[in-house]
Amino acid sequence: MEKGGVEHEITELRLGLPGRDVTEKIVKKRGFTEMIMTSSGSNSDESGVVSGGDVEKINESPAAKSEVVGWPPVCSYRRKNNCKEAWTTKVGLGYVKVSMDGVPYLRKIDLGSSQDYDDLAFALDKLFGVRGIGVALKNGDNCEYVTIYEDKDGDWMLAGDVPWGMFIESCKRLRIMKRSDATGFGLQPRGVDE
Amino acid sequence: MNYFPDEVIEHIFDFISSHKDRNSISLVSKSWHKIERCSRKRVFIGNCYAINPERLIERFPSLRSLTLKGKPHFADFNLVPHEWGGFVHPWIVALAKARVGLQELRLKRMVVSDESLELLSRSFASFKSLVLVSCEGFTTDGLASVAANCRHLRELDLQENEIEDHRGQWLNCFPESSTALTSLNFSCLKGETNLAALERLVARSPNLESLKVNRAVPLDALTRLMSCAPQLVDLGVGSYENEPDQESFMKLMAAIKKCTELRSLSGFSEVAPLCLSAFYPICQNLTSLNLSYAAEIQGNHLIRFIQFCKRLQRLWILDSIGDKGLEVGASTCKELQELRVFPSDLHDEEDNDTAVTEIGLVAISAGCPKLHSILYFCKQMTNAALITVAKNCPNFIRFRLCILEPNKPDHTTSQSLDEGFGAIVQACKGLRRLSVSGLLTDKVFLYIGMYAEQLEMLSIAFAGDTDKGMLYVLNGCKKMRKLEIRDSPFGNAALLADVDKYRTMRSLWMSSCEVTLGGCKRLARNAPWLNVEIINENENNDLMERNEEDEREKVDRLYLYRTVVGARKDAPPCVTIL
Repeated sequence: MEKGGVEHEITELRLGLPGRDVTEKIVKKRGFTEMIMTSSGSNSDESGVVSGGDVEKINESPAAKSEVVGWPPVCSYRRKNNCKEAWTTKVGLGYVKVSMDGVPYLRKIDLGSSQDYDDLAFALDKLFGVRGIGVALKNGDNCEYVTIYEDKDGDWMLAGDVPWGMFIESCKRLRIMKRSDATGFGLQPRGVDE
Repeated sequence: MNYFPDEVIEHIFDFISSHKDRNSISLVSKSWHKIERCSRKRVFIGNCYAINPERLIERFPSLRSLTLKGKPHFADFNLVPHEWGGFVHPWIVALAKARVGLQELRLKRMVVSDESLELLSRSFASFKSLVLVSCEGFTTDGLASVAANCRHLRELDLQENEIEDHRGQWLNCFPESSTALTSLNFSCLKGETNLAALERLVARSPNLESLKVNRAVPLDALTRLMSCAPQLVDLGVGSYENEPDQESFMKLMAAIKKCTELRSLSGFSEVAPLCLSAFYPICQNLTSLNLSYAAEIQGNHLIRFIQFCKRLQRLWILDSIGDKGLEVGASTCKELQELRVFPSDLHDEEDNDTAVTEIGLVAISAGCPKLHSILYFCKQMTNAALITVAKNCPNFIRFRLCILEPNKPDHTTSQSLDEGFGAIVQACKGLRRLSVSGLLTDKVFLYIGMYAEQLEMLSIAFAGDTDKGMLYVLNGCKKMRKLEIRDSPFGNAALLADVDKYRTMRSLWMSSCEVTLGGCKRLARNAPWLNVEIINENENNDLMERNEEDEREKVDRLYLYRTVVGARKDAPPCVTIL
């Protein structure tokens, strides 16, 4: 199964497994890939619908691989103690991994120690020593960075839309992308007309 | 020999320690059998259900050291239900009742309870060594009883167990008079550790050679521990994700420098690069290094570290070391005997180009002439690479290759990997353990049956086309002891072809294959000396009452093993013994 350029990116940031009721995810949250699909200039139409075509592409989701029980044959003790594995089971328990494009080390942040998005913004700024991440969370549109998170279902969502409580319960990891890089995915900067 | 008095023969037997040899001796004659069994101190039981404790004690009344294994190997990968069995309690009860002078107990994949540990600690006055590997069912309360009551305890080694941590004071339970410790490993405990108690214990144990702490022991405590135990040979450290400040770093390095006897290093569930570099001074002395839990460490730091390890014999590492790192290892570690490369990305989530490939494997085989054991997880492989590896390293005893994606062919030719593995078994005449993966047809099993004359353990997953594959192995590998197969198209014809073969094997595991209930029932009828276990986690488990139609139903998991004591009585509802 060959994966080319953009198609590969799409399957990475997949909407979810086929057959699921996609529409129920649309309410209140903007899926990151939704943003890719919607045309430029549209001002956060929160009930943007994803076309059936996109779901088809995602049929080749690599999720099927990880569903084979006991494969790869790594013993369960090692799975639990492998940091990457351990993090994915720690949903809602506070610590999540944060990656920032261009930074070689992954960082961790304790969501439990932030009270709201403002707190998180401040913490992220401090973590990477870069100003502007926080602004992304608050303003959303006119800044250098885009903060996205992977939720419990494996979908990538834009951070900042859902209530804080809901966010920390479902956020598995965070990723900070430069908005200009996100454009390569097809994301158009919002607020720009035409 | 027949004219020597028994005591002399017994003395001669004392020099023979290998289990195999001692078993052979006992078959020579009645008198040798008697002398051997009465003087036998160490017994190894590879399957705790092959025999029962009463018969063991009857045969070996002078038993001092016992090794027991419980669950089948695939239990490591969650293929065996939790409640399957492997309870050590009846063994301890029987040994205690018979007043056996037990000194050492080594358990693997068994269920151990606090009650068992408590009984153990009170029943054997000379008890010296407890080693638990991949066990579960107990808490730190059980450890507290062992610490408190085993006056002569020298070794407490807990490897990869699931232990409920009550965050109690089990370390405090070692009495002040306890000064005989040579080995203490509690790396698998998840909770906080009483650092003061630990430091006092280490300080009063001058013979301590092996110390492996858990994640919760911070850097400054580690520094103090190393300072008062510079005689350490084997050290397992905790988790150090934050860079140490200058002062802490200097102190750590000073303590490390004093540990001139240090040969083995492990732990590092997380480690900041600077922390790792504090160990540079002793790298050249290391013979064993385990960095396989340090998932966050980037390849270049691993490479820098390994460059100093010229005497390394054993290396366990993550695939983030990359082919480049293995090339460095190949040119630096000329004494390397065992290599294990584990996957850092288990769900194939990241598009990771830096993980190892066939290139790294070839490099290490070319550079390390003493290499005899390898476990290698990778995303791709080629026949050409395997053929080269076979040429470079004909001395493999253990060769385990796991290509992460099932059924993946040679990525340059799109062919199966039959020829590659064929080359391995043909060249490595001493091969005892083999795990195969990738796209494989019946042909690879033809090669294995033909060439792998010393093969004792074979693991097969997603391989083969027909029953012929399994038959080649059963007919060809005369020394086969453990065969484990999953997700492969082998069925009743292969299972039933040669029932007597299973007399010479310890066990056979088959899951998600083509064997049916009818086939298993037939086997059980023809081989009453086997326990044929069907594991089925569905609700309706009354397999014996099924009608004829269900005989054609495929069996999800089959585990059979030879035994002299018949069906076990402790099987849970999900296990049916035919």
